[in-house]
Amino acid sequence: MAARARWVLIGVGLLAAMGAARADDVTLYAPRPFGYVIGDTITLSADVALDPSLKIDPASLPQPRPVDYWLDLKAVRLTDRGTREGARRYRLDLVYQTFYAPLEPKRLVIPALALAAVSDDRRVELAIPPWSFVMSPLREIAGGSGEAMTPRPDIMPRPIATRRALMLSFIGLALAALGAALIGWQRGWWPFHRRRDRPFLRAARSVRAAVGLSPPDYDTALLALHRAFDATAGERVFAEDLDAFLAAHPGFEPARHDIARLFTASRDVFFAAEAGAAQQELPAERLAELAARLRAIERMAA
Amino acid sequence: MSGFRQWLRQIFPAACLTALVVALLLAGWQGTRAALDHRTNAAIAQLVAGRDVPVNDNAPGALQLARLHFLTIRDRLDEAQPIANRLAIGDDAQLAVAALIDLANARLRAALDELASNNIDPAIPLVRLAKEGYRRALAIDPGLWDAKYNLDITMRLVRDFPQIEVSGEELPPEVTKRLWTDLPGLPRGLP
Repeated sequence: MAARARWVLIGVGLLAAMGAARADDVTLYAPRPFGYVIGDTITLSADVALDPSLKIDPASLPQPRPVDYWLDLKAVRLTDRGTREGARRYRLDLVYQTFYAPLEPKRLVIPALALAAVSDDRRVELAIPPWSFVMSPLREIAGGSGEAMTPRPDIMPRPIATRRALMLSFIGLALAALGAALIGWQRGWWPFHRRRDRPFLRAARSVRAAVGLSPPDYDTALLALHRAFDATAGERVFAEDLDAFLAAHPGFEPARHDIARLFTASRDVFFAAEAGAAQQELPAERLAELAARLRAIERMAA
Repeated sequence: MSGFRQWLRQIFPAACLTALVVALLLAGWQGTRAALDHRTNAAIAQLVAGRDVPVNDNAPGALQLARLHFLTIRDRLDEAQPIANRLAIGDDAQLAVAALIDLANARLRAALDELASNNIDPAIPLVRLAKEGYRRALAIDPGLWDAKYNLDITMRLVRDFPQIEVSGEELPPEVTKRLWTDLPGLPRGLP
């Protein structure tokens, strides 16, 4: 019975010892301890390792405040880094700003900070150790000349930069012009009105539609092509006008042979009523090919 | 394929029109901004050239700073103070810093003028206010070398001392009571 009680006591003692050892574990990571001038900021970082049952008491964290007449605590950041290797770990960043104006290099001390960690049943005091550093003067100790007492100049007022607004405005205008141009192009407004006048484009569509029927509507296809020739020439074009047409629209010259066959076929159909002969001369599929070719010529010429 | 084309043909005019309207709005908005900024810049140029222009409290920060600068280099510090207060709490850190420093510089110059004619008493509050201005500016931007330099000047004119505990190595109490040490290298006028 007595032996068992002793074991328990030893166990409690071990736990307490471990807890104390962990709770004390504050490591300060400080920057270089020299070469600071008035107005510089100094960031001290401390790694705190605690027994996993403990938490840093948020109320014990220092608030940003003037620490001394020459030292401000500007920011306090506490980062919880979770539990690793059996200890709860925190990172505490303290940003100080020093306003000491030394006449010669002088060692100053950032005082220690007290923190507290709490669990359900106990409270452990922690200390961020003090840290000393050397500040350097910014100016010489004035001799005879007034140089050292001449203040640095003002920050001059500067005009507002308008470049960005102007640039964006021009980009907006350019985009608007592009949009207007696209709409105009699609609608065939000036200066895109000429684009609309592509009779062979229309004819090619009609021919394709007519040829696609079963049986193919040969007459309609022929007529559509004739209307396209008429519209392109600005007058009626008959077989005997072909030379004049080609002279006026030399782009169609390479297709002369096919065009002549077209006119022959159309004469067979409309005047000799020999649709069979015409379809032999120029089958419906060839008619669609011809229409496509003429459309291509027209597009090149436009 | 032709379905897609059909869809494209239907969507195309609406898309173009939307783009056109959006682009026009952008152009109008930014153009107006540029025009307003241009007018503000004209007023800033006037102030910098030394002609006073009335500036109301809602004017753009850059214009307010120009007016503040106009006032501070003419020693009209009481009129400049409210402008500096407004800019110092504004969103634009650069303007806040410039306002604080320009006003503090004006106070430091005024203090140096007073000291040159040996008027120590009116100089002390000026130096203290200048010091506070530089500290506020440095709190916003710790990298301002000109502010550090000028703060160093003010610190040597009127040194800071611990408010409560005076440690042994500090200066004797009669000096701290006067809050005045000495002025190295500054002419004191006739004896």
